Amino acid sequence: MVLDQDVLTVLKLLMIGESNVGKSSILLRFTEDEFHENMQSTVGMDYRTKQVTIDGNTVKLAIWVSHFNDTAGQERFRTLTPSYYRDGQGAILVYDVTDRVTFMKLETWLNELNTYCNKTDIIKMVVGNKIDLPNREVSTEEGLQFARRHQTLYIESSAKTADGIKCCFEELVQKIIQTPGLWDRHTLINSYGNGNMGGVRHRGQRGIQLADDAQLHNRPSNCYCSLI
Amino acid sequence: MEDVLEEVVSSDDLKFGDKVFIYLHCSTEFMQLYLCNSRGYKFERIYNEQLRSSVITQKAQFEYAWCLVRSKYPADIRKGIMLLEDLYCNHNDSEKRDCLYYLAIGNARIKEYTKALNYVRSFLQVEPGNQQVQHLETLIKKKMEKEGLYGMAIAGGVIIGIASILGLSFAMVKRN
Ligand SMILES: Nc1nc2c(ncn2[C@@H]2O[C@H](COP(=O)(O)OP(=O)(O)O)[C@@H](O)[C@H]2O)c(=O)[nH]1
Ligand SMILES: [Mg+2]
Repeated sequence: MVLDQDVLTVLKLLMIGESNVGKSSILLRFTEDEFHENMQSTVGMDYRTKQVTIDGNTVKLAIWVSHFNDTAGQERFRTLTPSYYRDGQGAILVYDVTDRVTFMKLETWLNELNTYCNKTDIIKMVVGNKIDLPNREVSTEEGLQFARRHQTLYIESSAKTADGIKCCFEELVQKIIQTPGLWDRHTLINSYGNGNMGGVRHRGQRGIQLADDAQLHNRPSNCYCSLI
Repeated sequence: MEDVLEEVVSSDDLKFGDKVFIYLHCSTEFMQLYLCNSRGYKFERIYNEQLRSSVITQKAQFEYAWCLVRSKYPADIRKGIMLLEDLYCNHNDSEKRDCLYYLAIGNARIKEYTKALNYVRSFLQVEPGNQQVQHLETLIKKKMEKEGLYGMAIAGGVIIGIASILGLSFAMVKRN
């Protein structure tokens, strides 16, 4: 059990994409290791937290998935959009590999993200989900091309089989931690400042184990875990 | 910020403004809400502008309520709950689902656990498999247990169907 004082920072991650592509399912697989065949559509905004340790750094993830912002909700809840995107440090853009329309809509979602997100260097990850299904419409090559063109990370996943899910979050978090200025080790103090964590604990200058420069590339290169 | 019950509305959604009066026009009578200090919300302003033009859209009302129930201040949360109840009772089906969910959250946050659980159960009657709402139910029960209340509620038999109170029903949301 990792104690709270060992948490380096809290990161806000957003799940974006068309309805039904599997945003909630990916989140559920990641946080609870469950999958529901008949997932009901999201109510309002769902919010989950999970603590992960990556390269020796423990971070707390605050992950949002919003029904306000997906296809069914966006007309009704347009004005809530900026609140959703605000301060996001990582964005997971999901499409369904068996539904080309959801892939084509990625461009729109990316635009929205760029419009509303106040952190310009937010790390983006494109996820082609439902790779367990046989009726694939979007090839891996096309997905990768899109990711390269927009300088995002890329992974393919299945919330059903859990393929690629853990890797998706780990890669994204790793990349955020490697981006100076995007996060701040005091986020934790701010967000717990008013309360129930029993006061602010002083945090020492604990080193962050960054990868060598050679490993820090802009290309979506080190994220192929689920690819053949 | 551990979970959806502790998550607090962003300070950027909160704006300082002048003392504001809010009139909520219900379908039956005129209800007056009064903000007793200078905290003014961004969504509140939108809401007020629409009031001035005497059209409160459901949308503005929902957005305002959505901020209020996630506030740190119980007084705000109570106002948010009133607005959501009004929306729930007087408007069409599309918002009912969202209203119920945030009514449960709002009530849990002001420790009205019995009400909160009733909203959750009403929701689950319509969508029994909704994982998100099941999760919320677990969170509420955990909070009650922590405060030594869950056993009491059961023993006292105070859990009654709020469904009948609100004349509850909302259409299953269709996928796609
Ligand atoms: N076969 C398969 N089905 C999935 C996968 N991910 C999600 N689904 C199903 O797709 C539907 C929509 O998923 P959901 O998570 O609600 O999508 P959202 O609207 O983007 O949140 C649900 O019926 C899920 O069970 C997957 O990886 N494989
Ligand atoms: Mg969803």
